[in-house]
Amino acid sequence: MMEKKDDYQKMITRCPKLGHELEFSYCLKEEGDLPCPRIVKCWQDYLPIEEYLKEFFSPEDWERFQKREPKDKMTTLLELIDLAKKRKDKPSSL
Amino acid sequence: MEQMKVVLNDDEMPTQWYNIQADLPTPMSPPLHPGTGQPVGPDDLAPIFPMNLIEQEVSQQRWIDIPEEVLAKYLIWRPTPLCRARNFEKLLDAPVKIYYKNEGYSPAGSHKPNTAIPQAYYNKISGIKRIATETGAGQWGSALSMACQMFGLECRVFMVKVSYEQKPYRRLMMKTWGAECIASPSTLTEAGRQVLAEHPDSPGSLGIAISEAVEDAVTHDNSRYSLGSVLNHVLMHQTIIGLEAKKQLEKLGVYPDVVLGCAGGGSNLGGIALPFVCDKIHGKNVTTIAAEPTSCPTLTRGPFAYDFGDLAKKTPLLPMYTLGHDYVPAPIHAGGLRYHGMAPIISHLVKEGLMEARAYNQLDTFDAGVKWARSEGFIPAPETNHVIAAVVEEARRAKEEGKEKVILFNWSGHGLVDLAAYDAFFEGKLLPYELPEEEIQRALKATNGFPRP
Repeated sequence: MMEKKDDYQKMITRCPKLGHELEFSYCLKEEGDLPCPRIVKCWQDYLPIEEYLKEFFSPEDWERFQKREPKDKMTTLLELIDLAKKRKDKPSSL
Repeated sequence: MEQMKVVLNDDEMPTQWYNIQADLPTPMSPPLHPGTGQPVGPDDLAPIFPMNLIEQEVSQQRWIDIPEEVLAKYLIWRPTPLCRARNFEKLLDAPVKIYYKNEGYSPAGSHKPNTAIPQAYYNKISGIKRIATETGAGQWGSALSMACQMFGLECRVFMVKVSYEQKPYRRLMMKTWGAECIASPSTLTEAGRQVLAEHPDSPGSLGIAISEAVEDAVTHDNSRYSLGSVLNHVLMHQTIIGLEAKKQLEKLGVYPDVVLGCAGGGSNLGGIALPFVCDKIHGKNVTTIAAEPTSCPTLTRGPFAYDFGDLAKKTPLLPMYTLGHDYVPAPIHAGGLRYHGMAPIISHLVKEGLMEARAYNQLDTFDAGVKWARSEGFIPAPETNHVIAAVVEEARRAKEEGKEKVILFNWSGHGLVDLAAYDAFFEGKLLPYELPEEEIQRALKATNGFPRP
């Protein structure tokens, strides 16, 4: 599986979110510790994506990924507005 | 000589946008604030949008006047021509007349300026001095950069780092139009700094870039944020495409049987289709189709037969290219595996049965795009190839059914800065999908006994 994994990482598809070609390795880390929410939809016909993800991620992260609730754009914007307001009022030390 | 295109005079350009919210048989549910659970009010959105755009977002008024200043900018390239794709028709050898709106005529090369310009204008007259946004490959970022320059606004575009590195030309377009294009994650925002602290080599994502753009807008004086798709007012600005097309088709004495657009966030589809959905709501017989990407096979590989449109077998039998009503590509889990990037208006129309959604595999879309380029000349943007693939399918259906059809679609942009995508296609780097033989056989069995058209 490890050898196959390396091959998978270089496979290319067109990303409907960004609008250009990307390697599978990007999709795996699109959200930092977690893969892109679209990863199964985009890759399911090319490789055994579920088995791969279960092997690639810890059981906790896999669980987190499955349970993650996607948000519509308006909800995302409203949450980001609130977060940005807080950051404006109280900047962190980063 | 046969007429190939219809060009409206400047004074024939529509002077109002169409707002479909006024005509929806079932009103859309108002978005709820995630914090309060209450319907979103103007004050919730005021930190990122000027009030005039918020009013448009919730407006129920059918027609909204396009301001003179916006019309003047539109006239740089609008009205766009309505063209007849006779060479493509010949290639497809089907009983169809294909008309398309060439939105690649705009200075930015896509339909995006149709909303970038009014958004910049409404910000300007609200006293806003600068706008922040995010972009992936750069279609939206470049369109907004141009629009901001037109109205003397500063523009900062957070471009996803992996796109920033892979797509230099649109980044340079933004620079040429005077915008500041920043690779995201950046050190300019708390959101970006947090990501970089945890993942110094982060290639970025659209989610991070949106976070940065919203934070930038909220934390700077006289700044706002701008979004190029999904929202109601964005789709409304794009309706100028469909409104022009209606006028142009009227001059030919033609009305379309099918109207199509590719669906990413829904803005170019909404632009061409919403004025026709209005007709459908009021009794016209017109089909509107959203062409979206998928990794699944196109169903054209299955047999053309009458089949149920759903698993429950409740819909009437429909003639379609089918793998059987029980065909489900591969398990897709609920929850985190869904993606909610589609305009609520489009989702609502599909749910209400006023619009149809079809999905196309990337290889089929590029194949269609190359056929288009080799017959009609213009090289389409890869997104536009999705709708061309849908046109190919629609023509094939017409041939199978022996029905004449008038097809209208939105040729949403050119692909001259996306040639790397074509290169990947030509070099065989894009993944093929091969439907297993046993799946085809199973599908054939599933439609055994159903009538054939």
